Amino acid sequence: MITLDIQNLEAKIGDKKILNGLNLQLEAGKVHAIMGPNGAGKSTLSKAIVGHYDMTILGGDIYYKGKSIIEMEAEERALEGIFLSFQHPVEIPGVNNAYFLRTALNAKRKHEGKEELNAAEFLRLMKGHLEELGMKADMISRSLNEGFSGGEKKRNEILQMLILEPDVIILDEIDSGLDIDALRAVSEGINKMKDGKRSFLVITHYSRILDYIEPDYIHVLKDGQIVKTAGPELVAQLEEEGYDGIIVNE
Amino acid sequence: MKLSDLKTKTVEELSRELGLNPNNKALEKFVEMGLPSKKSEAYRYFYVEKLLDNEYETLDYVPRPIKEGDRIEVVDGIVTTAPKGMRIYYEVCEQIDSDHFDPLYYLGHALYPRTIKIEVDGDAELNLLHRFTKSNALINYRIVLFNQANRHSTLYETFDAEGIENTLVMYGYDMHIAQDSSFRVFKVQTMQEQNYSMIASHKINVAKQATTMYKSFDLGGDQALQLIKIDLGERAHIDAQHLLYLNAESKRGTVSQIIHKGEHSTSNQEAKNILDGDARGIFDALIKVEETAKDTKAYQNSKAILLHEKAYMIAKPQLEIYIDELEAAHGSTTGQLDPKQLFYLQSRGISAVEARKMLVIAFANAMMETIRDSRHQELIRAEFDRVFYANAKELS
Repeated sequence: MITLDIQNLEAKIGDKKILNGLNLQLEAGKVHAIMGPNGAGKSTLSKAIVGHYDMTILGGDIYYKGKSIIEMEAEERALEGIFLSFQHPVEIPGVNNAYFLRTALNAKRKHEGKEELNAAEFLRLMKGHLEELGMKADMISRSLNEGFSGGEKKRNEILQMLILEPDVIILDEIDSGLDIDALRAVSEGINKMKDGKRSFLVITHYSRILDYIEPDYIHVLKDGQIVKTAGPELVAQLEEEGYDGIIVNE
Repeated sequence: MKLSDLKTKTVEELSRELGLNPNNKALEKFVEMGLPSKKSEAYRYFYVEKLLDNEYETLDYVPRPIKEGDRIEVVDGIVTTAPKGMRIYYEVCEQIDSDHFDPLYYLGHALYPRTIKIEVDGDAELNLLHRFTKSNALINYRIVLFNQANRHSTLYETFDAEGIENTLVMYGYDMHIAQDSSFRVFKVQTMQEQNYSMIASHKINVAKQATTMYKSFDLGGDQALQLIKIDLGERAHIDAQHLLYLNAESKRGTVSQIIHKGEHSTSNQEAKNILDGDARGIFDALIKVEETAKDTKAYQNSKAILLHEKAYMIAKPQLEIYIDELEAAHGSTTGQLDPKQLFYLQSRGISAVEARKMLVIAFANAMMETIRDSRHQELIRAEFDRVFYANAKELS
């Protein structure tokens, strides 16, 4: 089953056209890794999927579970089940981490016709996930990402993912700035979400993260287009030949 | 009565017309300073002339027996209720400031010579409600407040007015904060769909080694200005914080002077301003360090967030320093909600309206969290919500 179907997508940021007729399909239960050189359009692709305000879509469409989302606001896409783990999560002083997460979760539950969680129920849920991720309990009372280390920010992104339980999960450079322990904890959190129904889109420069989250497909992105798609064996080839080698051979 | 008619009158003429004692010092001082106009330093940004040009009914302030209640209630300038044992009198004010920058401070005293005097006994927590019930009226009254040395008290001040129109309220405190004491004031005033204007003119005298906290939370619409003069004695401290959250065509704010007179006195003044719609916020604040105030510390800061392109903030933090031995700093910033922060919240399924609210409250949170009493903190948060959603509805 296809969860996300990107068809001939063209997009720009400012005056610069970055995506040039990109086609990509994410399958349910599969991990898709996007790799590519700097400036290929990897982060732009993630922004286009979640409806970032920087983007102007010039052409093409994005279908989520068969429905076009191109005209949807960012919050609607999130409520439908699309989640982006940011490369650089923003700090928001004064917004309590737990309050933010409960607001987000209850918005989603309301959207799905479920009962909202009260503060006590939510805290139980949050504490459970904090333990799983090896995060300190003070994450409950701290302001959202304020003063967090790089590792704490990334773990907090994964915490949000675990709580919100999205169906399409985009991980933008989730491994950047993480030490081995943090990388392992984050990867375990991600692997826990693999249930055969969700789709993962792992955007990365390096293959290191793919040792922890086994991909089903590797897509190489260059100049705003997917130029090669293959199985996980492509990682070794990329390590050996680099992007240039792969693209030239194509 | 039209206050603008007082403009060119002499002391004799005014005392005759208003039935006041011609030796009234406050009246003399008012005549000397003149009625405020848009050229007056303190009222430059406030459109005071329109208020002074209106015709108002004047009230007779006849004291009546004070009923026992949980809080002090002042209704149209008269104390109606107070807790048992509270010492409240009507007395001629003997300690009018001789150098206040606001002419309406003096007019207020002149028109209300027998002020409401509150003596705060011991360590107390006071709740004071100002209630206004008269339309087309000039409601003018003054409160003189004394606390005791070595005591620590808090005053929570709220306001209520329903169904009134075109009324101007002029009121203010003369607070005398005794040596080695601490006194905290939390003022919460929401003027949402209430059709009155207010000019509050205060004098706070902080004696040797006393500490005062003055926090004002001014929310909603309409037109109001608080003018505060604070004198600091030796090792005295003031922590003044002002939160403005305005919408519609509101014009509100603070004009203040903090005067360091004593050595080692310290002041910290901070304004946080959130302005929506066509609102205009005012923070025109001077900290003056006199020659006698060696080794003082003075900090002043204003931050503003504009939520609408037509909103406008006038921030004028100023330092006037006559000595070298001090630490002082001031600053001012004006910006908008951060689109990256808004997007981050929305990307988690939080609606644009709720995301905006979260960021607006986050900006104000540090100030709200300093209120230790949870009931009052809840009150301010509820008022915040009320103003936010009233405005969100207007925009949608």
